[in-house]
Amino acid sequence: MKTIYKTILLFTCIILASCGGVPEEKSKVASIEKAFSVEEVLEMVAKENDVTRTLYTKAIVGKGKAQGMKFDEDWRKDDVEAGPLPALFLRGVATSIRKSPVPLGLYLGSDFPVNAANKFEGKQADLFEEIKKDQKPQFFYDEEQKLHTAMFADLASAGACVSCHNKHPQTTKSDWKLGDVMGATTWQYPKDSLTYKETVAVLNAYAKGTVDIYVQYLDEIKAFEASEKPEIGDKWPAEGNYLPTAEVFLDSVKKLSSYETMKHLVATK
Amino acid sequence: MLKVSPLRKRQFLGGIIGIILGGVIFYTLTLETTEKYISIGPMNTGHQELSCFACHADAKGNLLQQVQSNVSHAFGAREEGVDFGTKDVTVDNCMQCHDRPNDRHPTHRFSEPRFKEAVEQIDATTCITCHTEHQEERVSVASINYCVNCHQDLEVENDPLDISHKSLIAKEEWFTCIQCHDFHGNHKYDVPEKLSDTIPMKSIQNYFNGGKDPYGTAKKYTALSQEAWLKTLGE
Repeated sequence: MKTIYKTILLFTCIILASCGGVPEEKSKVASIEKAFSVEEVLEMVAKENDVTRTLYTKAIVGKGKAQGMKFDEDWRKDDVEAGPLPALFLRGVATSIRKSPVPLGLYLGSDFPVNAANKFEGKQADLFEEIKKDQKPQFFYDEEQKLHTAMFADLASAGACVSCHNKHPQTTKSDWKLGDVMGATTWQYPKDSLTYKETVAVLNAYAKGTVDIYVQYLDEIKAFEASEKPEIGDKWPAEGNYLPTAEVFLDSVKKLSSYETMKHLVATK
Repeated sequence: MLKVSPLRKRQFLGGIIGIILGGVIFYTLTLETTEKYISIGPMNTGHQELSCFACHADAKGNLLQQVQSNVSHAFGAREEGVDFGTKDVTVDNCMQCHDRPNDRHPTHRFSEPRFKEAVEQIDATTCITCHTEHQEERVSVASINYCVNCHQDLEVENDPLDISHKSLIAKEEWFTCIQCHDFHGNHKYDVPEKLSDTIPMKSIQNYFNGGKDPYGTAKKYTALSQEAWLKTLGE
C-alpha cells in the first residue's frame, strides 16, 4: 500500500511540476535597463507641469478673462458656466493620471491655501518652509506609503495667480506678489529608478492628463446655455473670443517644454 | 488470483464516491445559478444584479499553475506568490463603474502624505472602509462624524446657515455635516440654509441601510450597469 501512496505522491509532484507556474512579471528583468533616477524623472515631469500650467494660466485664464470668459472653482456644477481655475486644472490632470496604469501621484498644496483641505501638514509643511527659502526641490522617501516623494515650488508666475488669490473671498492671504512661492506641487512614485520606457510613460500620462481635463472644459462649454460660447479652433483668447482645440493646446505645451525634456532624455540615454 | 481484503474494497469504493461527489459539488458550485450559495453575504444596495466575476476576476494561470507557483514561493524558489483562484478586489474594480469627474472626495486624494493622520482615523484611500460589500446595505461606516478628521479649520465666507459652520464646529456637531452634504457630491439638490430644514438623521441612517435616497434621485452621473461595464472592456 505504501507503494501506492508513494506513486500517487510522485505523480502529483510530476503533474504540478510539469504544468509550470504562472509566468513571472517582466519588471525584474527590466531592472538592469534602469536609465533614470526617480528624482530626475519627477524633475522632468514637474518642468512639463510648470510650462503647461503657466500656459493655461496666462494664455487661457488670463487672456480669456479679458474676453469675458469665466473661470470658477465650481465649474463642474450644472448651474455654473465657467472653466476650471488653474489649481483645479491641475487637480483634473492628477485625477486623469490616477486613472492611467502609471503609478504617479500629483498633488497641490500651500501654507495659505484657498481651500483649507490643501494646507500642508507634518513633513510636507517642514519641507515647504525650506522650499520657500531657496525655491529648490525637496525629495524624501515616505516610509509608510513606500513612495518616493518630491516637492517643487509653485511660483506666482502670472498676474492672474496674484489677483485671483488676493481677491478670493476665502483667501487666507491677500498680499501675494508676482514671483512669490504660493505653494508646492507634490509628486510620488513607487520606484527609485525608471527605465526609459517607464520614463516616457510618466511623461505621456501627464500629457494625456492635460488633454483630458482640457477636453472636459471644452465639453462643459458645449453645454453653456446663458453664456456666449467661444469659438474653438486654432486661435487663442489673445485674438478674441476663441479657445484652442486640445490638439493645438498640447502642441503649444510640447513646443515650450520638449527641448528641455528631450535634452534630458537623449543626454542620459 | 489477487486477494483483496474487504477493508481495502471499502476504502477503494469510498475513495471513488469521494472523488465523484467532490467533482459534482465543484461543478455545481461553479455554475452561475448557484453563485448565491458561495457568496459570503447578500450584495449591497445597487449591486444585487452583479455577477461574481464583476469584482472577482479569475487570477492568472490555471489552478495547478497557481498551486505550483505558491508552493515554489513557499520553498523560496520563486520571489513572489500569486493570487489563488481569483484576484484581490481593489479600488480599481470599484472605479471601473463608479469613477466620476465630480467626485468631491476621490480615494486617490487621500494618498497624499498630508492626509496621513486622517487616514489613520478613517482609511479614505479605499472604498470598502465605508462601503463594505456583502452587507446588504449602502454605507457601512462605523461612525458618521468622519468630517472631523479634515475639516476642523473650516471657515465659510458669508456663511448662509442660520447657525454658522463655525459654531457647529465649535460645538463638535460633526453628525450634522451629512444632513446637508452628500460625501461624494453627486446629487443635484438645494442645500438647506436652516438647520431645521436639514435631512433628519433617521432618513440618513435609513439611506445608509439601503433605503430611500433623502438627497433626491437627480444625479449628475450614474454608475455603469454590468452590461455597460462589459461593453467598456471590449472598447
